[in-house]
This record gives sequence, C-alpha cells and structure tokens, in this order.
Amino acid sequence: MGLFDYLKVSLFQKAFLGAFLSGAGISLLGVVVLTLNLTTVRFALMHVALLGAAVSMVIGFSPLLGALIGIGIASLLLGPAGDSIKIDTGAIGVLFMTGSLGLAFMLFYKAGVSAMDAFALFTGNILALQSLDLWAIGMLAGIIILIFIIFYREIQMVLYNPVLAEGLGVPVKLIRNGLLLLTGLAIGVNFRMVGALLIDAAVLLPAMAALSLARGLKEALILSAIYGIVSQVGGLTASMVFDLPSGASITLVAVGLVCVTSLLNGLVSKLRGANER
Amino acid sequence: MSDDLVIEIENLGIGYSRKQILGGLNLQVQKGECISIAGSNGTGKTTLFKTILGLLPPFQGKISVLGHELSSEKERRWVRRQIGYVPQQTLPGKLPISVHDAVLMGRWGKGFSYGKRPGPKDIQVTIDILKWMGLISKEWNDCRYLSGGEQQKVAIARALVREATILLLDEPTTFLDQKSREELLHLMKRLKLEQGLTLVVITHESWQLPKLTDRAFQMTGGKLRQLTGQDMVSPSSLNWSRQNGII
Repeated sequence: MGLFDYLKVSLFQKAFLGAFLSGAGISLLGVVVLTLNLTTVRFALMHVALLGAAVSMVIGFSPLLGALIGIGIASLLLGPAGDSIKIDTGAIGVLFMTGSLGLAFMLFYKAGVSAMDAFALFTGNILALQSLDLWAIGMLAGIIILIFIIFYREIQMVLYNPVLAEGLGVPVKLIRNGLLLLTGLAIGVNFRMVGALLIDAAVLLPAMAALSLARGLKEALILSAIYGIVSQVGGLTASMVFDLPSGASITLVAVGLVCVTSLLNGLVSKLRGANER
Repeated sequence: MSDDLVIEIENLGIGYSRKQILGGLNLQVQKGECISIAGSNGTGKTTLFKTILGLLPPFQGKISVLGHELSSEKERRWVRRQIGYVPQQTLPGKLPISVHDAVLMGRWGKGFSYGKRPGPKDIQVTIDILKWMGLISKEWNDCRYLSGGEQQKVAIARALVREATILLLDEPTTFLDQKSREELLHLMKRLKLEQGLTLVVITHESWQLPKLTDRAFQMTGGKLRQLTGQDMVSPSSLNWSRQNGII
C-alpha cells in the first residue's frame, strides 16, 4: 500500500490533520515553556494528565476528557493558587509528578487495566484519533494562535522580563497563568498522538530548534510552527512509508531537526565570527 | 502642591503581605532633581519604587506623583505612563529579542497595548532615542549578546521612550565594570541636564553617585535619613585620608 493509498483512508486523513494542527498550533507553547523555565511544571502537568487519563480509563470514560480535567485542576493549583499561597512551583511540581505517577500505577493495578492499555497511554497512537480528539486539537490550536496574535507584545514582555513588564503595568500573573493553562491543555490533547513519554517531541523539541536559530519572538513562533508541522507530518509519513511506530517516528524526526539546527547554528555563528574578524 | 514638586510622600508605610518594611516615610522630590537612595539588601528600596509605580498599595500614608494621588487604578495607570522605570539588572533571558523591540516595549500603555499595534509615532520615538543614546548601530542586534553596559543602556532607552518626566533607576551601576559605570553616570548626567528629567536612583552605597545627586538618602532600620557631605565620602578616599594623616 503506497502513501497515496493511505491518504484515501479516513483513519489516516484524521491522523495527518491532527499532526498538522498539533504541529502548527501546539508547538508554539514550547517557546513559552523554554523561555519561562517551566520545564518542571510542564513535566508535572504531563503526569497529572496521565493520572486523569488513568482515572477515566478505570471508570470507563474518555481518557482525553480525564486528562484535560486533571490538567485544568493542576494548572489552577500551580498557577493562581501558587501565587496566593507562595508555593515554589518547581518544588511542588516534583510532588505532583511523583504523586500522580504513583497513583496512576496504583489505579491500573487495582482496576486490572491491561498492560497494553496502560502502555498505550505512555506511547500514544496517532492512528486512533477520533473526531472528538481532532476537534479538541483544532480548537486549541486556533485559540493558541489567536492569543499569540492578539497579545503578542504582552507575551513578548512577560517572556523577556516579567519584572519590567509588571513595572509597565502588564498583567504578568494573568498572562503567565493563562499560558500555563494552555500548555497543560496542549499536553492533554497531544496525549493521544504521541503519548506521555514522547509529549516533549510535540511541545518542546520544535521550539528548542526554533529558539536556536530565531532572532526574535515572531521568528521563533513561525519557525516553531514550521518545525512542529515538519516533525509531526514528516514523522507520520516516515512511519507509514517505513512501517514504524508513529509516536517514535515523530519524536525521532523532531530530535533530528534539533540536531540539524544546532549544527547549522554553530556553523552560522562560526561564519559570522570569521566575517567580523 | 507646588508645580515643581513631582513626588510627594507623606507618612508612608509600605511592605509585602502583612509585613511592614518601612514606616513614617516622608520625601519630597523637586522637578529636575536627582536624588539617590542607598541601603543594604532587603531594606525596602525596590519596594518603595513599586509603591511609587502603584504596583503595591501602601499600608498607610499617601503618595502623589505630579499632583496625582495614587488612590484609584485610573490614577495609578496615569502615573505609570509618566514614569520610566529601569529595574535592577538581571541576567539576559532565553528569549531572542532585538534592541529595537526591547526598547519599543517602553511605549506599552503609552502608544500601544493589547490588540493595538505600535504605530509610526512609537517607531519614530524609538529610533530617535536609539540615536540619542548611540545605540542605533545595534538596533537589530540580539539583546542576549550585549555587554552589561549596553544592556543597561537599552533599559534606560526603554524608560526614555515613554517620554516620561521621572526616571526610577534601581541599582543601575551594579555589575558594571569601571568604564561602563562611568559611561552610564555620564549618560545620567545628560538626562538630567539636557532632558531636564527628575531622577530617583537606588544605589548600594551612597558614595557611588557623588557628582550626580543633589540629595542623598540612606534607608536603614525602616527609616529614610538624608545624608550630609561627610556621609558620602567613598571608603577608598576615607582610607587614603586616614593613611595620609588627614583625618
């Protein structure tokens, strides 16, 4: 079966659409996670999403909905509540992470969830995307892009220097917590595609590659979206052509992109240095 | 309140959450004046700036800036538009950003905000200030790779594009080498003399800005004390005087 034959099948059409939307919209949040040093918080949200999905699986509910509810609660606790009770989001993130994982395993064991079903949560399956998943990914991608367009300058200021932004009167906490919630939701809707273990391939790796080359936020966001689409759609295509697992293929294409851009960046810096001399 | 009075602080008590750091604070700053406030870490210098900017509500007393008392959000927003704030220097973040964009940010709330994009006037003011500061050749350079002195210049340029009448500078010379420090002091002198700006400068030590300040204050034990000329002698010159038997 050739690539074009695959594209005639609804299952693969959904997978490609999901990959495109996720790459175009959700990878933008990686720029926020990396520049605001939210990697620990993002890791915690990832595990809370896993716990939410596990609870849903046990009670026979949609794992996506469970993951989103879990993330909504965790974002609220790590953001606005964290501000008012002055908790260290980094430290509390570790607590969330380990606690959620422990609870999820406990639930799997007690409810007799099969190893394969549990494993699917960790690795994801882009070919199992349903219409509800696609709607969720599409709507979230649209909201993310819209928010970056409308609040571009404010987000740029918060990412550049929150103290300065606050001094100018920008609602820093509101913007930071809003971005944190969006990051959580992005992790939740990407769960079905690449799974808990490889979620960084969708959220962080395109942004990592983009930030190493970009000279401004606009460039970083555009490059991040391009790299996101290339890694997701490219990885999915590679998985079909070479008969490989989709989540792993998407991840390896994204890792390849980071390596290539890092090499390119090194080369460009070297050339610039030589020219300046 | 006289027209020449730009900041008036009366019996002010400030702090964070429920902890009061400073109390019974009185200060009047005249138009075109440069005052310095020295004090060790944690004495409330930056907290005072945040209160002047209307970011922290005072525990007691009142603050007026250019005749506007900081009593409502509308007044606080107006006051923030009249003040250029240069926060304490931090390490450059991870965000790639050009000098142009970093300076343009200062126009937020003045020329553009939220859905409203920067207009031709915002761009023109930014370019004019970059030229005045001698930063125009670095307009499109990435801020992350500038020297400490250049980054501080960018921070001051950002405060200037607000077309403010008051500049609040939080430890502007800290972490700078001798040459950059001298350049910055020269720039601050130009701001005072050529632009007629009122400068309120937080410093770590009172002797750091002797030729610039009209009045110097020391923040200690939750109070603000005005220093005399004797207090503003640098430790090195004191040592020299002692070694040479002058004092």
